Amino acid sequence: MIEKALKGNRSYWIWIAFLISVIGIGLSAYNQQRWFGLTVTGMGRDISWGLYIAQFTFLVGVAASAVMVVLPYYLHHQKEFAKTVIIGEFMAVSATLMSMLFILADMGRPDRLLNIMLYPSPHAMVFWDLLVLSGYLAMNMVSSWAMLGAERKGVPPKAWVKPLIYLSIPWAFSVHTVTAFLYAGMPGRHLWLTAVLPPRFLASAFAAGTALLILVSFILKRTTGFDTGKEARAKLAVLATYAGVANIFFLGTEFFTAFYSNVPTHKESLQYLFFGLEGHYQFVPLMWFSLISGVASIIVLLVPALRKSTPWLVGACSALVLSIWIDKGVGLILGGFVPSPLQEIVEYTPTATEIYVTLGIWAIGILLLTVLLKVVVAVKMEKEQ
Amino acid sequence: MMNEERREFIKKTALGVLVGLGTVSGIVPAFSLEKTVLPLWDEKPVPGKIRWGMLIDTRKCKEGCQQCAAACHHAHNVPDFRNKKDEIKWIWQNPYQKVFPTASQQFVSKEIQDRSFLALCNHCVDSPCTKACPTEATFKRWDGIVAMDYHRCIGCRFCMAACPYGSRSFNWQDPRTAIHDPVTTYPTREQGVVEKCNFCSDRLVKGQQPACTEACPEQALTFGDLNDPRSDIRQLLETNETMQRKPELGTKPSVFYII
Amino acid sequence: MQWQVLRMEVMMKSRKLLWIVAGTAIILFALLNVFRKGEAETPRAAVAGSVAIDSAKCIASAAFMRANHMQVLYEWRNSSVRTGNRVHIASNGSKFEKSLNTCLGCHSNNRLFCFNCHSYANVKPKCWNCHLSPMETP
Repeated sequence: MIEKALKGNRSYWIWIAFLISVIGIGLSAYNQQRWFGLTVTGMGRDISWGLYIAQFTFLVGVAASAVMVVLPYYLHHQKEFAKTVIIGEFMAVSATLMSMLFILADMGRPDRLLNIMLYPSPHAMVFWDLLVLSGYLAMNMVSSWAMLGAERKGVPPKAWVKPLIYLSIPWAFSVHTVTAFLYAGMPGRHLWLTAVLPPRFLASAFAAGTALLILVSFILKRTTGFDTGKEARAKLAVLATYAGVANIFFLGTEFFTAFYSNVPTHKESLQYLFFGLEGHYQFVPLMWFSLISGVASIIVLLVPALRKSTPWLVGACSALVLSIWIDKGVGLILGGFVPSPLQEIVEYTPTATEIYVTLGIWAIGILLLTVLLKVVVAVKMEKEQ
Repeated sequence: MMNEERREFIKKTALGVLVGLGTVSGIVPAFSLEKTVLPLWDEKPVPGKIRWGMLIDTRKCKEGCQQCAAACHHAHNVPDFRNKKDEIKWIWQNPYQKVFPTASQQFVSKEIQDRSFLALCNHCVDSPCTKACPTEATFKRWDGIVAMDYHRCIGCRFCMAACPYGSRSFNWQDPRTAIHDPVTTYPTREQGVVEKCNFCSDRLVKGQQPACTEACPEQALTFGDLNDPRSDIRQLLETNETMQRKPELGTKPSVFYII
Repeated sequence: MQWQVLRMEVMMKSRKLLWIVAGTAIILFALLNVFRKGEAETPRAAVAGSVAIDSAKCIASAAFMRANHMQVLYEWRNSSVRTGNRVHIASNGSKFEKSLNTCLGCHSNNRLFCFNCHSYANVKPKCWNCHLSPMETP
């Protein structure tokens, strides 16, 4: 089936060549990082996680795109999603792969990666996160590939495929929960030490994953003529809207608890991010941009007339994704380190090397997605003719 | 499995051993590697029997004196990159509000505001760092020391995020380029692993006090077994009012301060 | 600076050094094999100028150590770092500290002791990234 990805027009190959060259740049930057150490990044003793872990956190959320279509399609028989399901699943596959690659890029000794499995430590959340992420990756890849293969041959899928798909639904929830637990269990990092973090991760994942899925379906329609359907996009827009509302609501509760209780440790990180702390305002413009674009996109999505218009929908979905990318990636991870345990405020700016590695990993994920979707479109178009 | 291998190893050992470490170092006098005093570490460790702890009398700590940190960092080949981003430190001085940020900050006397307070790994009883470590590269030792196994660390820096005291440092680059006066008695670290104070477990096996405790000209540091009611440290804890860093987090630090 | 020189030479895998080490290893290995009669006779550190190493001072026979030193070191490393059991008891009851320094107490007098064989066998143990190798000791 994969051979279908080898036949494409000129612009398809230009796109592939572009992605491969970005991957090349990323690899050479990574090589530099391996050689000189993580000192080539903007991270340091006080901000010990940066762009990589931020991207990881955001991309785990994008992996939710699968469950947002799988659940209504398989459990509630929403037939509109027939063409979208597999796109959502393949997006989850590439998002999960990217998030795992970001973990790898962040490690000081990636050559010892297998130590996580050689010395399994159930008390460590990383161990569980690696399990759920790799499980989710395998589950989505295997089940969607099997479904697509069956569809191509015009036969019903094998008996084991459906149970695997059903299992992937609760599994998706566990992915976001465990990822939130990575942060939410650490004493002394008060931005993360909150029980609302897992629900917020679920909400932001469902909003960003679904919005991105809508955008991908528009791109597919534009570039290949393969249309997943207006009804599917309309339903997805509703899902993204309510998930986005929930996300803003959870953020609001966070603000209330921090600022009403007035407990300094709880308040300081949020204050740093949104209002500045002791003369440091590094992220204030970015965080307000995120908040305003998030709220604005939700307002647009809440109005049925605007939601139904393609330009408004594309604009709102892009703004929503960008807002969550800033909020969950940049804000949540970097804000967690300020102030430091020794009450210091340290600023962080990613270096060029770090950005190249990041772009390289994104290009790997997008390349995989492109190839997978190329196969999907070829199979589906063949069937339609 | 390990034991089997060891048994086999012993079985296979054909030639016995006649000369101990003392003789060895006598034959090669130029080579002054660590010499271990056998009786001090001859017993097999009993988990939980000992809990090493430290009491810092901050009243005795003289301004501008860096001898404890210098001795520690020299004894353990701690690199000095001379920049804050890549900084590696095992023990260092900070003002009151940085070491005790959650303690009362209002109307603190000028004398306390000017005083230096030592910060180092607290070797917590309930250590968040060992909990977060996915490979048990950092782990709770039988004697209460939160130890690092540099052979196993994958450099994920979860322990750094989990430590509420900022006691951990990461080797952002090759540390060997920044060790200006290396010692042969302790290994260096490698690029890409986390390191921190080891409560001088390397010196304890030789029956010595930690380097910082020994180096302090004012005897401001008292090191001892917190599980032994007759130890000096326990006597001092009973007769003085002391503080721990961020006790509200429930980590139960083993480092105490007399303010 | 000694460190930087070593980083240049050892870590940057300087080709020159590798050739010298490999060449020496091959010559030494050839020499050792020429004068070798049977398995029982173990070659004693045949490097000129060094103090002859008596296997009696070692924790096990040279033949055993040549084949199994990596397992021994692995076991020593784990039990001393992790379980705190730092004493190795040999079959005759002698005690040794489980430490690379115990080995190097004797073997450091041959600066290429580890490197000769390792470069010949093309294995790259990472011990010396942190521990002091015989080449680095004074």
